[in-house]
Amino acid sequence: MSRTLTVVGDINAVDTLTRLTAQGSITAPSLVVPAGMKKIIKIIAAIAADELADDGQYVAFVRLGGAAVLGGEQVIIFAGGGNQLPQTGSDVAPSIGIPFTLEDVDIAISPSDTISIAAEIAGADPGDTAMAVTLVYGT
Amino acid sequence: MPKQYRSREGTVTAVATKTQLTTLGSETAPGPLLVPAGAKRLKAITAAFGCDLTIAADGAYLVRLEGPGLPEGPEVVAIGASGVGVATGGGYTAPAVRVELNVPVTPSNEILVFAENTGEDTGSTAVGVTLEFEM
Repeated sequence: MSRTLTVVGDINAVDTLTRLTAQGSITAPSLVVPAGMKKIIKIIAAIAADELADDGQYVAFVRLGGAAVLGGEQVIIFAGGGNQLPQTGSDVAPSIGIPFTLEDVDIAISPSDTISIAAEIAGADPGDTAMAVTLVYGT
Repeated sequence: MPKQYRSREGTVTAVATKTQLTTLGSETAPGPLLVPAGAKRLKAITAAFGCDLTIAADGAYLVRLEGPGLPEGPEVVAIGASGVGVATGGGYTAPAVRVELNVPVTPSNEILVFAENTGEDTGSTAVGVTLEFEM
C-alpha cells in the first residue's frame, strides 16, 4: 500500500529556503504522515523558470525534515537550468520542467508525525520559478 | 536499511578546473560532507547542473569525489553536457540524473565533492550533487 503527498510553491530568489505547504486548490494539505506509512519510497519533483532574469544558472533541491523524518534532514538535488534574458522582440523557447523521479528512496519516517518539505534554488537567479514535489509513502 | 542523502552545490566558472562544491543554498557553510555513521556504501549519486549560456560554446560536466571517505580512491562520473550557438539567447531546464554505483565508504570520514567543466568554457554553471548512502 502506498499514499501520496504533493506540495507546490514558487521560489523567486536563490539561496532562500521556502517551505512548500500548498497544493493548488488546497491551500493547506495535511503534512502528517498517514498511519502505517514507514518510509518514503519515491520522490517526484519538477521545476520551471520564466527565465526573465539574465545569466540564470541554478540547481534545485528539496529538503525533507521535521519530526517525521527519523534520520534527520535529507537533501536531494532534482533539477537544474540556465538561461539568457531573451532579446527584446524575440521569441524564446519554453522552459519545460520534466519531472525527476527518484525511485527506491527508502527514507525512514514516523507515521502520524509531521513532515516538513522545503525547497531552494542555488546559483544565479533565473527569474521566477514554480515547483511541485510529490512524496510517495510506503509500508 | 534506510538510506541517507547528503548534498552539496556550487558554481563552476572555469574550464578544466575542478571546483569544490561546499555550499547548500541558504547554508553557506554546511561543513564537511561526512559519510554517515553506519553507512556501508555509496549507492548512487544524483546530480544536476544549470549553465547560464553566456558563451557560444559546448562543454561536458564531471563530478569528482575524493577524500578519506572513499577508501578505494577517487571516483569521477559524467553528469551531462550543454552548448549554445549564440551567446544572446537560449535557456533550458533539465531534470537531475541518478547514477547507480556500489562504492565502499569509510563511515564518519569526509568526501570532497568537486565539479568540472570540460571541453570548452561554457560560462558559469551551477552544479548540485546528492550522495546516496546505503546503511
